[in-house]
Amino acid sequence: MLKKQLFLFLLTCPLTLFAATHQPGFGERRYSVTGMAEYSFNQTWGHHANFDVQALMPFNQHFEMEAKLQFSTANVHTGAVLLRPKFELPVGEMFVETDVLYKAVARNRMSDMTAALGVGYRMDYVSVTLGLFSRVFINWDRSIHTDETYVVEPFNLLYRLEVFCRPQNNPWNLSFMFSNVDDYQMERMWQPLFMVGAWYDATDHWRINLGVQCKPTGMFHLDASFYGATARAGFTYRF
Amino acid sequence: MKKIFYLLPALLLTACSKESTLDIAGMFSPQGPTVGTRFEQSKAYNDSVGEIHLDMGQDDYSIYVCTDSHITRKTHKNLDYFMAQYNAAAQPKLALHLGDVIDAQENIPCADSILHSGGIAVNCQPAAGQPALFITAGNHDIYFYQWDIWRSHFKTSSYWFDTNNGGKKLDLFVCVDSSDGEVGTKQTAWLKELLAKKSKEGYRHIIVFTHTHLWKLDASQGITSNMALETTYELTSLLGQYGVEGVWSGHQHARQLVNFKGVEYRVLNATKDKEKGQSYMIAEMGETIRYTYFDYPKE
Repeated sequence: MLKKQLFLFLLTCPLTLFAATHQPGFGERRYSVTGMAEYSFNQTWGHHANFDVQALMPFNQHFEMEAKLQFSTANVHTGAVLLRPKFELPVGEMFVETDVLYKAVARNRMSDMTAALGVGYRMDYVSVTLGLFSRVFINWDRSIHTDETYVVEPFNLLYRLEVFCRPQNNPWNLSFMFSNVDDYQMERMWQPLFMVGAWYDATDHWRINLGVQCKPTGMFHLDASFYGATARAGFTYRF
Repeated sequence: MKKIFYLLPALLLTACSKESTLDIAGMFSPQGPTVGTRFEQSKAYNDSVGEIHLDMGQDDYSIYVCTDSHITRKTHKNLDYFMAQYNAAAQPKLALHLGDVIDAQENIPCADSILHSGGIAVNCQPAAGQPALFITAGNHDIYFYQWDIWRSHFKTSSYWFDTNNGGKKLDLFVCVDSSDGEVGTKQTAWLKELLAKKSKEGYRHIIVFTHTHLWKLDASQGITSNMALETTYELTSLLGQYGVEGVWSGHQHARQLVNFKGVEYRVLNATKDKEKGQSYMIAEMGETIRYTYFDYPKE
């Protein structure tokens, strides 16, 4: 019962709060390439750096695709492909996200593969996504035929709530996000991430991106403590 | 409807509850020292008292294992039953409690007296013929700034001990503090160094026990989080690399068995009174380990 109420809360609250502030248009979605550099720290891998490359391919008004790669000095490398059908509505835009994320945890000779399906709704000042994902951990050192090769975590909840200070077609913006997923990780449902992001369109083609992220552990029925943080900066070139 | 908006976060996001009050502070800030400090304190104690070696007198012996007893001063029937079973069992034997011995604050002295019943040595070197019990802290044990109280009774939450038969090495047991869902940089380094050294010493079995489970296969415990993914990667790799045979944990109150990288991850049911599916485990240690689960008596 409580879970159902929480679900309804997450779904309806942003809609009711922000529907009245709608300004049409989300800005041009153009083919673009993004490069980012990240400094990151966590209690397991310590200090490390990540380098990200992303490509956005909006094939048409109703379908876009994203491809993402991350290389890390922690010897953990990630690739993700995201397909996003979308539908214009009178107030905002509804979209479906199909995301496949593969993380090669080379330092531990294993991989972590997740597949997600989410439904989202985006307005000028807010974007919300809810979905499910499944995960499989794969051991690189065991025969594929033994049960010690895989561990499957079949059902995880995916949630993402992002609030923007300006409409999304503005040449600059500041956003606050609460989610258990980001571009390169899908954490378990009770392991939220807190993110602050910003962008500035320096020219018609170049955008500057900045962001910080904090990852606590033990927030739900454990005892919260700081686990890790990431700061990122980069550029997007829009064709 | 407005009340639900305020009530839901209070109910759902509460990290742990006092007996009659809600406290959501632990969702945002640590309720006491974090794992790095707790580990340093445990290690300082271990260094001050020296290593623990249990001479079992023979190769085969029993280990009684329970977890998540969540006792209060009013209700501790199942833990009493577990201790009675353990006290009645024939030597050689030892017992483990995998954390969350208490449910909320002000119950640690009560837990201490139950665990010491029958003259049991807790988290220390027992005298000859004295039964031993080893315990690790769980999230409920350290919540409400109780770590210092817990530590004053049980001394250490990160340690190792081994068993032998007249000097012949048998099994190694390593206790890892994961009571706030994290293991931490220092404790991970200690664990790695310990396993690297001890895995070459010819132990028959190496067992790691801790409170928080590493995998999240289902939502059997509702909104209960476990470790960050990076910790799952690192620990499972480390444990597989150094020949650990089993990892015993609690926290999720539901029995589970996972095999990964040659390690058996065994999560136990709770010992908490009035909870569905309460049971404890007996591991018969020999050349192989034989596991049996026993339900607590129904009320």
